[in-house]
Amino acid sequence: MTHEAVPWDGPGGLSGPIGVPLVDLLDRVLATGVVVSGDLVIAIADVPLVRVSLHALLSSVNERVPAPWADSGPL
Amino acid sequence: MGRDLVTLVLTVVELLRQLMERQALRRIDEGDLTDDQTDEIGTTLMMLDQRMGELCEQHGVRLEDLNLDLGPLGSLLPRD
Repeated sequence: MTHEAVPWDGPGGLSGPIGVPLVDLLDRVLATGVVVSGDLVIAIADVPLVRVSLHALLSSVNERVPAPWADSGPL
Repeated sequence: MGRDLVTLVLTVVELLRQLMERQALRRIDEGDLTDDQTDEIGTTLMMLDQRMGELCEQHGVRLEDLNLDLGPLGSLLPRD
């Protein structure tokens, strides 16, 4: 069962599956740049065990967002 | 059960590979890379693609199986 791609600006509303593969969406999100920040506590039976505090910038490297090290930095 | 796990792992690897491929293209479009850097990136991506094909054959997984159908969201990978 294959879905045909639904054009973005079709006359009807957005009923069928969106015609863009998820990997392209992720690519655009990275190209724009996104900041993920938040706190996470992993708990079992209401007992907090692990705390994760996130302040992450996810972005492509371009002149707006330079790489912190020289181009051949660590991974 | 093992086969599904292999398919899931290969799907994640393929997703990241394609994502990095697109990011590499964007970085090359920036134009601030030297020629040999661009060549190296191209060669590496080609070898990665080749290796991915070998892995799929080795585990008897078709490339189309890696493409998850996300229902109303469309597909995970392009259906070329």
